[in-house]
Order: sequence, then structure tokens, then C-alpha cells
Amino acid sequence: MTILGDRVTATAGPATPVVRKKSPGAMVVSWITSTDHKVIGYMYLILSTFWFFVAGAMALAIRAELAVPGLQFVSLEQYNQLFTMHGTIMLFLFATPLYVGYANVIMPLQIGAPDVAFPRLNMLGFWMFFFGGITVAAGIFTPGGAASFGWFAYAPLSNAVNSPGVGGDLWLLGLAIGGLGTILGSVNFITTIFCMRAPGMTMFRMPVFTWTIFVTALLVLIAFPILAAALVVAFVDRHYGAVVFASENGGAILWQHLFWFFGHPEVYILALPFFGIASEIIPVFSRKPIFGYKGIIFATMSIGALSVAVWAHHMYVTGSVYLPFFALMTMLIAVPTGVKFFNWIGTMWRGSVSFDTPMLWTMGFLITFLFGGLTGIILSAPPLDFHVSDSYFVVAHFHYTVFGTVVFLFFAGLYFWWPKMTGKMLDERLGKIHFWLLFVGFQVTFLIQHWLGVQGMPRRYGDYLPADDFELFNTISTVGAAILGISTLFFIWNVIKTQRTAPKVTVDDPWGWGASLEWATSCPPPRHNFVTLPRIRSERPAFDLHHPELAAAAHSPVVEGSNK
Amino acid sequence: MGSTEFVPAQARRRRRRAGLLALCAVAAVVVLSGCTVNESLFFDLPSPASKEASITQNLWQGSWIAAWAVGAFTWALMLWAAVAYRRRHRDEVPEQTKYNLPIEMLYTLVPLVMILGLFWFTAKDQSELLTLENDQQHTVNVVGFRWAWGFNYLDEGVYTVGLPVGSGTTNEPATLVLPVNEKVRFELTSPDVIHSFWVPSFLFKMDVIPGKTNVFELTPDKIGTYVGKCAELCGVDHARMLFTVKVVERAEFEAYVADLKAKGQVGTLDTGRTTDAGQAPDERTL
Repeated sequence: MTILGDRVTATAGPATPVVRKKSPGAMVVSWITSTDHKVIGYMYLILSTFWFFVAGAMALAIRAELAVPGLQFVSLEQYNQLFTMHGTIMLFLFATPLYVGYANVIMPLQIGAPDVAFPRLNMLGFWMFFFGGITVAAGIFTPGGAASFGWFAYAPLSNAVNSPGVGGDLWLLGLAIGGLGTILGSVNFITTIFCMRAPGMTMFRMPVFTWTIFVTALLVLIAFPILAAALVVAFVDRHYGAVVFASENGGAILWQHLFWFFGHPEVYILALPFFGIASEIIPVFSRKPIFGYKGIIFATMSIGALSVAVWAHHMYVTGSVYLPFFALMTMLIAVPTGVKFFNWIGTMWRGSVSFDTPMLWTMGFLITFLFGGLTGIILSAPPLDFHVSDSYFVVAHFHYTVFGTVVFLFFAGLYFWWPKMTGKMLDERLGKIHFWLLFVGFQVTFLIQHWLGVQGMPRRYGDYLPADDFELFNTISTVGAAILGISTLFFIWNVIKTQRTAPKVTVDDPWGWGASLEWATSCPPPRHNFVTLPRIRSERPAFDLHHPELAAAAHSPVVEGSNK
Repeated sequence: MGSTEFVPAQARRRRRRAGLLALCAVAAVVVLSGCTVNESLFFDLPSPASKEASITQNLWQGSWIAAWAVGAFTWALMLWAAVAYRRRHRDEVPEQTKYNLPIEMLYTLVPLVMILGLFWFTAKDQSELLTLENDQQHTVNVVGFRWAWGFNYLDEGVYTVGLPVGSGTTNEPATLVLPVNEKVRFELTSPDVIHSFWVPSFLFKMDVIPGKTNVFELTPDKIGTYVGKCAELCGVDHARMLFTVKVVERAEFEAYVADLKAKGQVGTLDTGRTTDAGQAPDERTL
């Protein structure tokens, strides 16, 4: 919590008064009453990290239960609650608010804005996330336990007859409140991007990260209202006998359409901002501009557009959807995603690539996510999905894509922007240990699950028979999960060590090759972000400022060899 | 290759040797672990036990060969970029390339063509898997209910039903007995929540949805005993909602039907079955 104290004192502008250390109470008050986009962003990041640890602990409990056949630690009902809350928290209370957190901290800096367009709406959004999250998790402490109908809450399993208990109600209402917070945040980002760009910052000079935030926010506005409505209707079904999702009225399929019309854009809501983070990091550590800037932006827009037309690929086995359409749309989305891969590789190509922690994490993302993409193509083919749908193959697939993107790039972003946020560099050696343990732990945990799924292990089974012959692979997976869990201890250690011993960052751009505007202000930035703004004449204003001699060469029509 | 020119020949040779060594190591691991191609490349797909499953197996193998090729190419590119263009001098300044339109067109169009190829194969196969020809020799109404299975043999007029199984119980799962090489039409119905009818050896599953009858046809073509599972979360005992499939000779199937009749398991279970005509009047409540 000393971030704030440092934040103020590190502002080395001439107009900054000397600020004495605040008492902890005063600091808490200043944080929870803050409308500063950076402070709200930090609160989002801290709270989502907290939920990440909570849901991660649940994952370890799940893996412990599955290590050998039989029930050792939890009952089947508790197991259902565990994976329901694991999925819910990871998606709604970790990954989604993480997007809002990063967007809040970084996006206004990148467009040269003093704050977001609606600071108080921003604050309201945070507190909706805060209390919505508490509401969802409160189900754990009710007599009937938390919701246990899976994170997609299929009707009629989630109705009052099949899932009585207040846990399910808290789940529905908490998510509706949190979802509204996300909607407000996204309205704010779109307005900010449209209205508050600094002079010279045209749309096609915006950093790729800001572009991805823009497209993501649009997707939120398409997807989250549907979710909020469906959740509220499900609540009315449970308590007031509206029979909207009653199966005799076709409600079982109706719920799936509504849920996945939210659920599939949601996947890209999670992925796109993190693709943006990768697109910020790779150029800095390759000492090159992003390769094919406009291509990557069109790819982002195509992913956004296609992502609202693929929802029913979650429903291939329902026998209720027109397969060729959704198969084609789903396969097509691989094309812009592939384009991004080649943009990233092209950025490294003939560059000067160094493996500081942010880049290391990004490489981990590239290697991992590629495999998730390949299994995604396999799953997009309905005849193949018929076999592996709802099996561990799918579990492995979405961990390769979502964990591969969100978690790897969450840490990449933290290592990358930590100096910008706190004024101190995280320890490189601990960061690398953290990475390698997590990378190895992740692959050991999830790679083997592809085999489990193909051989016939369904997801959401708290138990399996010794005759199934799944024990060895499950044990290996659990060992991997333990390694993964241990890796995060190095992160916590790193944060503590950095806070205590790391020297202050005194330059605007500690990595040396930053391109976007956040690297043209102090670490951390002053209350309204910039004392002066550099002239914005390209999509790399900070680079132009710090490397004028190279910038001149880069912007001339013909690039003459190496500038060495 | 601008930057490689800075590297002395000796270092380049060393690098090539390291690459070769790594390749050998990977090959050695695959060989020594004794993995078959199916185990290593195709995730040990169960060998197909129905005519339709062979179609799926072919598509699975063809798609994975293509996927592994794309993967190997792309992983090689990114690792090559990481190794070959790693920073060698502190003050290196690479050329600031921003665009290369021909290459960008290439890596947009080539994946597009590949995807359209895959789509063509899947569209062909899925219509083969799902088309109802109505020339079946048997019709089985599969009833998924919390948390076991019942099977109504509609043509034979008999039924069988099981109990939830798993650790801590000695319950018997329901057994679905099917004659080999005879086409079966499955009608899936549920009286409560969504379930999913999955027989891994048939490489196929379909959801069992309340308020809706899902139908598919399948011809088992390999005698044997297979496991079947519920694949859609249906509540607390979801993991215990198992069944057994026995594919047998015609004579054995007939004996089985006669046996059910002798036990008095005639008629049909109440199923939550909805057809255009509504609930069948003679269905018995579970």
C-alpha cells in the first residue's frame, strides 16, 4: 500500500509540493475516495489478483481431489461448488476486471489524456465490481453452499427445483451487479478514446493496446447487457415463477443461446486486451516498431466482428443449431488470429531481441497460445467436437487459450509496467524463476489433459473409476498444478522484495525503447499524467522523443540499412 | 539475415550443432518412450467401434496432421526469431521495418485457403454423421435422468434401467445391448435436466435435452464392451451417471431381449419424452 506514498513523492515536477508520509488510515481513505484513473486501476489490479489467488487455491483443491480415484477431500456436491466458483471467479472476478484495470491504468496515458472521461462513473464501476464480487463469493458461506451448477448455469439445472439454495441467487445477482460495473467501465473507455486523445493522436496513431481496449469495450457493450438480462430473468424464474427458461417452452436451448451470445464474445473480451499487451511488449524488447501496425488493427476488428457470430460452437452437440454456419465462422476467426501471430513474429524478425522478464512471459504466451489455437481449430470442426466436447480435451484447450493469454500476459504486463505504476523495477532473477516454474507447471498440468479427454474423461467429474485407467495422467496433472501453485510464491516474494529494497526509477522509460506515450512521463506519472506532452507525429511518440535521430530515419520514405 | 553476418563462423557452427542435438533429443524421447503415432500425434484416440466413428477418425487424423504441420512451422519461426535475432551487443539498432505488404497478404491468404479446405471436409463429414436415413433396424429411446440411464427398445417392446455407480456403491449401471452391424436409431430424451449421451468408442456424443427429442443413427461394427458416460453437468451425482454398451452377435441380442421379456421388463419407461403427438399414453413412471 506504499504505492500511493511513492506515487506522490516520485513526481519530480517543479510544481510538486513536498508530501509527508500519510498515515495508513488516511491512505485508505484517499484510495477508496479516489477518482484518479490510475488509483482506480490499481485497485482493480489488486482486487483481481486477490481473486486470482482465491480461484487458484480452488483449482489446487480440484486437482488434489482428482489425483487418484475415489473421493478423498471433498464430496461430489462440494466438488461441483469448487469448479463452479473456480470458473466464475477466474472469468468474472479475475480476467474481466483485469481488462478494466489495465485499461484504466494504461490507456489514458497512452492517448495523452489527463484522466478518463467520466472519473466518478469509473469509481462507481469499481465499487459495483467490489460488491458484486463479494455477493457472488458470499454463497460459499451460506448453509446450502455456493452455486454448483457450473459457470454457465444451464437451465433447467439452475432453476429453483434442481438447485435450491441462496448460493445460486447470490451468484445470479452478484454477477449482474459486477457485469453492470464492467458495462460502465467500457462506456467510459469508449468515450475517453473518442473524445480525449491528445492533439496529434489520430486513431491510427493510437498504440495497439489502446485499439484492443477500444474493440474490447465495444464487445462488452454487445455482450454484457445480454448476460445481465439473462441473469435477472433466471432470478425471476427462480423466485416469481416466470417460466422463461422452463424446458417445456424450449428454455433449455434458449438459455444456452443467450448465455453463449454473451459467452463467446466474452472469450475475446478476455483475450484482446492481452493481445494488446503482447503487441506493446514485443516491439520494446525487439527494438523495432510493431510489424504491420494497420494489419494488426484490422485483425483486431475482424476478431471483434466475427466473435459475435460464433457463439453456437458451444452448442454443436445440442442438435439444435445450424452447424455449417457456426463452423465456418469459428474457423474464419483463426485467420485474423494467425495474422497477429505473424505480426508478432515479424516484429522480432531481424530485430534485437532481449529476454527481460516481460518478453520472457510474452514468449511463454506465444508458445502456449499457439497450441490452444490449434486445438481450437480441431474443436471448430463439428464432427471432431462431437467426440471431445465436454471432455478434458476442452478443459485443456481453454486453459491453453485463456490461461495462456490472460495469465501469461497479466504477468508480462505487471513486469513491464511495474516501474510505471510504482516507480520501482521488479527483480529480474525472481521474475525469471517465477516464469520458468509457472511455464513448466502449466504445461505439465494441462498438456496431458488432452489425452485424458480424448480417451474419455468427461469434464466436471469429481471422481472416476480405477477401471478407467485415468489415474497416472491425473496424478501427473496434479503434480504440475502444485508446481504452478508454488511459482506464485516467487511472485509474492518478488513484490515484497521490490517494495523494500529496489531503487527508485528516475527515468521516464527504464526499458529504453518504449514507443507509446506512457513512457514519456515520469514513473509513476503525476496526478494528471503529464507535465508536458511531446509532439505526436507517428504511432511512436515516446520513441520519437527519446531517439530523434532514429525516428527521422524511420519516418523517411526509404529506410537506409542499419543506423549503426 | 543481416545480423548473422556479425557472428564468426565458429559460433555459427556451434549453433548448428546445438540445433541438431536438440532435434536428436526430441526424436530420442519419442522413440524411447515407445509411443505409437496414435498415442503421440492423435492423443490416443479410441479405436472406432462404429461405421460412423471411422469417418470421425479419418477427419481427426487428417486435421491433426495439418495442425501439427502449422504448429511446427509457427513454433519454428518464433523460436528461430528468438534465437537468431537475440541481442548480441548492448547498442544494437535494427532496421525499423514497419510493413511488408506481400508477406502480410501471404500470411492472411494462406491460412484462409487452409481453413476453407478444412471446412469443406468437415461439412461433408458432419452431414454424413447426422443425416437421418430412416432405414434403421432398431430404435432405442435413451432416457437420461438424474443420475442414471434407461433404454427403451421401441421395436422389441422391452426396457432396461440402471442406477448411479461409482466409489462407495455396488450399484450396477444400465447396459445397452446392441447387435453388431445393424443400424440403430437413438432417440434421446430427458425428464429433468440436460444430460449428454457419450460413448467414447463411438467417437460421438449428443445432448439429452428436456423438452426436445434428439435423434441420430449409428451402426456398431465391432463386438465388445464399451463404457458410456454422461458428459453434461446434471447435478451432484453427474460423475456417477455411467452406463455400459455391449455390442454382440444377433443371436445374443435376441436372447437378451427374450430375457428382458421373461423378467417382465416390457413396455417403455416414462421418459419425459415429447414428440409431436405428445406423451405416449402407455409410458410407465420411473
